Amino acid sequence: MNTPVKTPDSSAAGASAPTAPRTRRVRGARVGGPRSAPYAFLLPAVLLFVAFFALPIGYAVWLSFRKVEVQGLGLGSGGRREVWAGLSNYAGALTDPELLAGALRVLGYGMIVVPTMLGLALLFALMLDADRVAGRRFARLTIFLPYAVPGVIAALLWGFLYLPSVSPLHFALDRLGLPQPDLLGGGALFIALSNIAVWGGTGFNMIVIYTALRAIPPEIYEAARLDGCSQRQIAWRIKIPMVAPSLVLTFFFSVIATLQVFNEPTTLRPLTNNLSTTWSPLMKVYQDAFVRGNIHSAAATAVIIALVTLVLSFGFLRLANSRTRQEESR
Amino acid sequence: MNHRAVAVCTAALVSAVALTGCGGDSGGNGGSSSDASGPITLEYWAWAPGLEQAVALWNEANPDVRVVVKNQAGGDDLVTRVVTAAQAGEAPDLVQAEYQALPTLISNDVLADISDHLEGTGTAEEFSEGLWQQVTLGTDALYAIPQDSGPLMFYYRHDLFEEYGLEVPTTWDEFADTARALRDAAPDRYLTTFSAQDAGLFAGLSQQAGAQWWTTEGESWRVAIDDEPTRRVAEFWGGLVAEDAIHNEPMYTPAWNQALNTGEQIAWVSAVWAPGVLASSAEDTAGQWAVAPLPQWEAGGNATGSWGGSTTAVTNDSDHAEAAAKFAAWINTDPEALATMVREGGIYPAATAAQTGDALAEPPAFFADQPDFYEIAAGVAEGTAPAAWGPNVNVAYSTFNDAFGSAASARSDFGAALAEVQNATVADLERQGFRVAG
Amino acid sequence: MSVGAPAPTVAAGTPPPGDRSAPAGPPAGRRPRRIALLPSAVLLLGALYCLIPVTWVLIASTKAGRELFSTFTFLPGTGLWGNISDLSAYRDGVYWTWMANSALYAGVGALLSTAVSAFAGYALAMYRFRGRESIFNVLLAGVLMPPVILAVPQYLLMAQVGLAGTRWSVLLPVVLSPYGIYLARIYAAAAVPRDVVESGRIDGAGEWRIFRSIGLPMMLPGLVTVFLFQFVAIWNNFLLPYIMLSDDERFPITLGLFTLLNQGASAPALYTLVITGSLLAILPLIALFLVIQRFWSLDLLSGAVKS
Repeated sequence: MNTPVKTPDSSAAGASAPTAPRTRRVRGARVGGPRSAPYAFLLPAVLLFVAFFALPIGYAVWLSFRKVEVQGLGLGSGGRREVWAGLSNYAGALTDPELLAGALRVLGYGMIVVPTMLGLALLFALMLDADRVAGRRFARLTIFLPYAVPGVIAALLWGFLYLPSVSPLHFALDRLGLPQPDLLGGGALFIALSNIAVWGGTGFNMIVIYTALRAIPPEIYEAARLDGCSQRQIAWRIKIPMVAPSLVLTFFFSVIATLQVFNEPTTLRPLTNNLSTTWSPLMKVYQDAFVRGNIHSAAATAVIIALVTLVLSFGFLRLANSRTRQEESR
Repeated sequence: MNHRAVAVCTAALVSAVALTGCGGDSGGNGGSSSDASGPITLEYWAWAPGLEQAVALWNEANPDVRVVVKNQAGGDDLVTRVVTAAQAGEAPDLVQAEYQALPTLISNDVLADISDHLEGTGTAEEFSEGLWQQVTLGTDALYAIPQDSGPLMFYYRHDLFEEYGLEVPTTWDEFADTARALRDAAPDRYLTTFSAQDAGLFAGLSQQAGAQWWTTEGESWRVAIDDEPTRRVAEFWGGLVAEDAIHNEPMYTPAWNQALNTGEQIAWVSAVWAPGVLASSAEDTAGQWAVAPLPQWEAGGNATGSWGGSTTAVTNDSDHAEAAAKFAAWINTDPEALATMVREGGIYPAATAAQTGDALAEPPAFFADQPDFYEIAAGVAEGTAPAAWGPNVNVAYSTFNDAFGSAASARSDFGAALAEVQNATVADLERQGFRVAG
Repeated sequence: MSVGAPAPTVAAGTPPPGDRSAPAGPPAGRRPRRIALLPSAVLLLGALYCLIPVTWVLIASTKAGRELFSTFTFLPGTGLWGNISDLSAYRDGVYWTWMANSALYAGVGALLSTAVSAFAGYALAMYRFRGRESIFNVLLAGVLMPPVILAVPQYLLMAQVGLAGTRWSVLLPVVLSPYGIYLARIYAAAAVPRDVVESGRIDGAGEWRIFRSIGLPMMLPGLVTVFLFQFVAIWNNFLLPYIMLSDDERFPITLGLFTLLNQGASAPALYTLVITGSLLAILPLIALFLVIQRFWSLDLLSGAVKS
């Protein structure tokens, strides 16, 4: 956190070369305005953060160090009381094989989702940005459309489409006399789940990348074209490196979303024996907190997940930052 | 289990949706009351359809004690929701709670002991001993009033049984033979399926075999899930799954509905509320189903277990526990209220008198050809084995879903899965600090 | 932690001069206007893929109960109006109450959220002050805590102040959006010219007035995006209302459909209601996107720094 961080405003000024002269700062006597103003503007956000994030997070952390102790049969009033648990909830969570298994499952799932989703998003964005494309507007809107569909509903719709009696895939295979795969079993299950996430997320990432593509000054293409570069070469050598920062951004958010996967497997679970109630770490948190009524161990698991996410994203951003700086210094 | 309990009410719900858009009048509009204490309002979290109509009757007759139903999603998650609300002091006055959830709620100090409020009203005599024991947990306290029950029976397609020359099984051995015979006669059909998503059904089948999953010994709990009776049940169903004599996919999925509707599955071991489910899952097969008592482990026996069933409980957060207790007793014993719930929600009332009363004189519409449906049911219900629930049924059930789910998929040994359920349940009790015997 | 690094892509919103409809292309007329087959085909395939489930729900909602599993998937049924009127009749039209609630939560919530994000983003982009990056980073770290675990503490704290179960309990926690603040900061940095702000100060205008008369109008297109993202996020939110609310008159649409689906498991006739309900629940979002999309995406991102 204490590395010098490249802030959006400075980078914006740096990257948008053509407008740089216009945004050059006039360094007046009161650079940055009066001292109290920024704090006043930030006040609502900070108050809300304290009330609805910091306090509950603190409460969750506190809960993670507590546990319920039962007296006797635990029936009637006074049968239970909350006591200090030390690190036992954490020890329990870390030694629970299901949590590790869930993490591994999510890893496998993420290795399908993230590359596929971002690959498709990049492909579509490049195609949108290509010349003489028919139906550009239609495609852009349509591919973005799934973003508007709530995750639970998306999973529900695909869940129906995976059923042999409804699925057009099964219908086609049946007509061709081919065997019908079980889409909700074995390895196919991972594909089936990934498909839902890819379907829902590609459009959003495509828009982010496409926006970045549109921001590349056209003069660069002109120069490349004069050098005899083909469209494909332009895409590989200019466009993709130029949008690398937005790929980093989309990658970052995709990984966080993947780590927190919950809706899709939860919605599909009743349809099959192959999705356990603790399939992903977050499902385990939910299961502990809401089905097993053990909020304390759920809190410990959640804190672990949050810490892992924090470390991963911090490390990743540091890496990305230093890369960007290197490139800039060249 | 959520959909199980809700299942109780499906037929009526669906028809209510289609026909009327019921909802009913919103009850005794306040303002007319001039009582010194003023009218009070009781909040009731519930999910059984048909309940609101019965509550409307109460509100009409009791303008001073208005009951407001807040519809819930129902199910396992609701138990935690109620516990959380109680922790915050925000629990409603009344909750619908399934039998197996009572120990969890009691142990979290959510439910009030209402025995004093109902002393001398004779409420206990309205119910069978087995059910009453489940709402008292065998103590002097009273934590809830039974609402409905779900004795297990055997449902089958009589037309297809005839077509394939199958006899209605009276023992589980015959049941297994029937399943195999059907596979031979019609390879694309199954007698039924084993559903790893429905721990409640498995619990009922185990009760029939004599299982007592949770019992107390002095100040300790004893968990006997991986015990002789249940092991017998697990091995029986595991064997059938392993040899592909029955299907292994869960119930209550669109695929299962279709299997029932098209005759891909021709029988269903289910509770007395099954007609409501069948009427909407397999609506094309109306009139083709019949009911028989559950197959027995001992020929000539008359034992069954229960699947589902709810109670009405009063919480410790209620400021009007006495009024709430009176209401809970009324709605579950008043003939008119029960008749309304039977009619609108298709429930099978827990109160003994109502089981043979006018409300159940007619068979369910889906079983119109079987006029003695409720007579058979009453006969079966007499042999209902008592259930024994503990404070962490949710843990056992969710472990069951996972362990039996993968065992059923792999067609592997159910015995190992059962041991896993037992171990997880005991470990959870110990972790919570309960003393566990043995 | 800082998400500052990847910002330039979104922030570097220099408008490509010239015709927007032929972005990076050569000047029209240099080559014959043929349609590029490969890109068009790829996009068409992508669009078809994205349309499959939407088409299915559109068609499935026209099927009356028993047609759902018995007729071919993409064959329209006959029951659309029947399904809609069944849905409207369900518990006295509670479905439409859910819709109205969702519109209320998402509309008001997103509006408040956009305002808070605008203030915060403007402050973070336009001022230099002690603790700026720390505050920004801490606000952003909020996204890392899974909402599943925040919900219960949030409920218990809400209950402490007597708000649990009220509409406020669903509305207030969604007002703060780390992602919205992040976006607002980027847009403010890219769109609000510092020299204009400085000259405003030299003219003696107060900070609030500068914000209102210079900052806000210039950030407006960016704020449309923030509003949209928040609207969608709140519309799709499920867990928070599930924990907070007990009265189904206050349920948003997601929670209502979940309740319905829960009962649908045992009453398949309700499946058609759920499917029809799902369709009707996503229509407003699609409509919103169609209406706002002209202000949004490219216009905003590329045109932000024009003025």
